[in-house]
Amino acid sequence: MPDVSLYFQVHQPNRLIPYDFFRIGEHAFYEDDVLNAEILSKVSEKCYLPANAMFEKLLKKHKGSFRIAMSISGTVIEQMQVHRPDVLESFQSLVATGHVELLAETYYHSLAYLHSKKEFERQVEMHLDLMEKVFHVRPRVFRNTELIYNNAIAAQAETMGFDGILGEGVGWALNGMSPNFLYRAPHVTQLKTILRNSGLSDDVGFRFSDKNWSEWPLTPEKFAKWIAESDGDVVNLFMDYESIGEHQWEDTGIIEFWENLPEAVIEEDLRWVTPCEVVDLHRAAKEYDCHWPTSWADAERDLSAWMGNVMQQEAIGKIHRLEDEILAAKDDDLTRVWAKLQTSDHFYWMSTKEGTDGGVHQYFSPYGSAYDAYIYFMNALADLQIRLKRIREKAATLPKLGPKRRVAEKKARS
Amino acid sequence: MKRLRILKLGWEFPPLINGGLGIACLGLSRALAKHVDLTVIVPKSVPDTEFDGFKLTGLNNLEATELLTTEEKYRYDSFARIEQVPIHLDPYSDEETSIEKIRMEPGGVIEFSKTTQVQLDRFKMDDLYGGDLAMKVIEFSKVAAKLAMLQDFDIVHAHDWMTYLAGVEVKKATGKPLVVHVHASQYDRAGADARGWIFDVERYGMEEADRVIPVSQYTGQICAGHYGIDPDKIRPVHNGADPVEVFQTKKKFPEKLVLFLGRLTTQKGPEFFLDIAAKVLEENKDVRFVMAGTGERLRPLIESGAFHGLGGYFHFTGFLNKEKVNELLSMTDVYCMPSVSEPFGLSALEAAQFGIPAVISKQSGCAEVLKGALVADFWDTELMAKHISDLLNDEVLRENVVRQAAKDISSSTWDAAAEKVVEIYHELVP
Repeated sequence: MPDVSLYFQVHQPNRLIPYDFFRIGEHAFYEDDVLNAEILSKVSEKCYLPANAMFEKLLKKHKGSFRIAMSISGTVIEQMQVHRPDVLESFQSLVATGHVELLAETYYHSLAYLHSKKEFERQVEMHLDLMEKVFHVRPRVFRNTELIYNNAIAAQAETMGFDGILGEGVGWALNGMSPNFLYRAPHVTQLKTILRNSGLSDDVGFRFSDKNWSEWPLTPEKFAKWIAESDGDVVNLFMDYESIGEHQWEDTGIIEFWENLPEAVIEEDLRWVTPCEVVDLHRAAKEYDCHWPTSWADAERDLSAWMGNVMQQEAIGKIHRLEDEILAAKDDDLTRVWAKLQTSDHFYWMSTKEGTDGGVHQYFSPYGSAYDAYIYFMNALADLQIRLKRIREKAATLPKLGPKRRVAEKKARS
Repeated sequence: MKRLRILKLGWEFPPLINGGLGIACLGLSRALAKHVDLTVIVPKSVPDTEFDGFKLTGLNNLEATELLTTEEKYRYDSFARIEQVPIHLDPYSDEETSIEKIRMEPGGVIEFSKTTQVQLDRFKMDDLYGGDLAMKVIEFSKVAAKLAMLQDFDIVHAHDWMTYLAGVEVKKATGKPLVVHVHASQYDRAGADARGWIFDVERYGMEEADRVIPVSQYTGQICAGHYGIDPDKIRPVHNGADPVEVFQTKKKFPEKLVLFLGRLTTQKGPEFFLDIAAKVLEENKDVRFVMAGTGERLRPLIESGAFHGLGGYFHFTGFLNKEKVNELLSMTDVYCMPSVSEPFGLSALEAAQFGIPAVISKQSGCAEVLKGALVADFWDTELMAKHISDLLNDEVLRENVVRQAAKDISSSTWDAAAEKVVEIYHELVP
C-alpha cells in the first residue's frame, strides 16, 4: 500500500490598481494595497487561521504520524508581515510543531525559469533566505510556480542542490505510467521527481463541493479507502491551501473532512510522509521524460494559463526583457517593483479562455476582464520604464563629479 | 429679402446626444436664429430647456389633444412606399438588423389612425436609438407632419436620415420646399456596400429634397456619386466649431504623444492607426500612441496591439468624458484621424484649437477646412507614419501647420455656416 504525502501551496499576489493612462509617469505605486490587505484578511479568516489552528491541533495530536508539507510564497509572507503579522505567527507556530516541511519556490511566484535562469536562481535564493529568516529551516525539495516542470527545470533544481522536485502527473507525459512512483528526469543523477496524483488531489481540491459529482458527498473514510486501493509507492496530494475554506467554503464540510482524514488514513494502515521522506524512502526506478513544460493549471496542464494568448505573451516577454537594465540600475526599490510584476497571477488574469477554466481565471481576477488586466499591467510597465530611464539619466550625470565628491556623497547618503 | 420662417427637424439635441449630430444641430440653430424665425422639432427634449432665439419642441412633451385639429386632413404619402421596416436599428452599430413586415392595406395605401397619447409617450422612454428605432422614425414623421400643419413656415429643413421621412411628409402635407442636411450617411457608417432600409430612406429623402446640404464637399461627392443625387441641388456647407476652453498640461512622461480619438469602429480607421503607430515606433521609441474611445473593435485592437508588440507604447483609455478628453488634448503633440470615411470630423478642429497639428485621411471632410493639415489616403499608413514623424521631428513644419490651422479655424464658425445656409434658403424662397 502506498504512503500518502500532502502538500499545500500558500500564495497571494499583489493585485494592481486600475492603472490608467493618465497615471503613467506620475503615479509610481502600482499595487492596490487596500484590496490586497482586504483579500489577505478575508482569506485569513476563512482559511489560513482556522486551517492553521486545525492542523496544529492534528499535528500535535498525532505526534509525528501525521505530517504535511507547505510552500509559502515570498509575496504572501510580505503581505502578512505588513498587514497581518498575527497570521504569519500562526504559520510560524504551525511550522514550529516540527511536523511541517517547507518547500522552496520562486520568491515572487513567477515564471522566471522560462525566461531567465539568472533571475530564477536569484528568486529561489531569495526564497531560501526568507525561509531561514522567518521559519529557521532550509528546504531540500523544490516546487516551481504552479508545478511548472520539465526535464530542464529538474536538471536546474539538481544543479541548485535540491534532493527532490515536485511536478504534475500529466497523462500525456506519463505515457501510461503511474504518478504514484518516484521518477528520475533524463540527465539528472540524484534528484527525484515527485508527481502529483491529479485525480485524487482534485477530488478534494475541486470536486469536493460539487453536488453533481457522482461521489458526492466525499467522506474521509471513502477517500482513505481510495488511497489505500491505489498502486505505487506514494500518493501525492498537492493543492492550494486556500481550497480549505476559501475555494471550498466552510459550509461544504471541508473543515470536518480534513479534521478526520489523518485518522482515517492511519486507520487504513497508511503512512503520512513529507516530500523529503518520500525522497529518502523510495527509489526512483524509472525515467520520466517530460520535454514540454507542464503545470497543474487548467485542463491543458501546460503554460497556456499564463502564456496562451498574445496579450499574456507580450506582457510576460516585456517584463522579463527589462532584466538587464533593471539590475544594472542597482536600485533596490525598482528591482522589487519589477520582480513583483513577474508574479504569475498578473498573466493568469489576462487569460481569455472560456468554459470552466475561463470561469476559474475570472473568479480569481480583481479586474472586469482579461483586457483590463492587460491594459493596467502594460500601463504600469510603461511607468516602470520611465522610472528606469530617469534613474539611468541621473546615474549618467554622476561620473561628471570628481571621485572624491562621489565618495563624499555616498557617505552622506549612508 | 424678408425674414424667413424655418421649420427644422432634428433627432439628437443637447443635452440628449449620442454623437456629433446634436452638437451640430444646436450650433447651427443658434446661429440661424439670428437670421430666421426658427422652430425645431425633435423626438425628445428636456422639458423647460430654453434656447436663445428659437423654439424647441420635443414630442415627448406633446399632448395628443394638441394635434386634434389636424386629424384626417391628410393621408401619409411616403409610407405607402414602405413594405418592410427593420427593427432594432442603431446607426452607431454595424450589426445586422432584423426585418419585420408591416401590414399593407389593399390598394397599397396605409391608413394611419389618429395619433394617440400612447404613440407620443413612446418618445418619453428609452434612448433615441434604442428599441424599435424604425417605428420611432415613422411615428416621428407622422406627428411632425401634423405639427407642421399647425404652423406657418417657409422651408422645412431635416437633419440626417431619421428625420428625412418626416421632412418629405411635411413637404407633401404643406407644399413647402424641403432642405435635407447630410451630417453622415450609411456610406460613412457601414461602408460603400451598405444597402438596406437606412440607405433607402437617405436616398429617398435626398431625392425628394429641393436642396441637399452635405457637411463637406467630400460628403457631397458621396451624395452625388453614391446616392445618385443631382449635383445641381447639392450645396456643401462646412460645420462650425464652437470655441473650446484651451489649456496646456505638462506631460508626466518624456515621450511625445500622438492621439486617436473616436468610436472604435471600422469606419474610424483604428486598425490603420495601430499600423501607423507600429511604423513610427520602428524608427522612434520616444513617442506614445493613445487610442481614446470605445467600440466593438476595442478588444480585437488590444489583441492586435499585443501581437505587434506595441504594449507599453500604445495605450488604450476606453471611454473618456469631455473633461478627460480635454486633458488628453492639452498634452497631445500630434492628432491623427485616419478615418475610412469621415463626413466632417469636428474633433480635428477641436484638436486644432488646442494648437495640435493634425494628420488626417483624405477621406475626411475637415481636410477641406484644415488646409495646412498633412493628409494621406486612409490606407496609406506609410505616408501617415511619415507625416507623424515629420511633425514630431521638424519644428518648423509643425509651427507652419499649427499656424495655418489657427487661421483656418478662426473662419470656421457657425455664423459663417448659417450665412451660407440662409443663402441656400433664399434660392428656394427669394
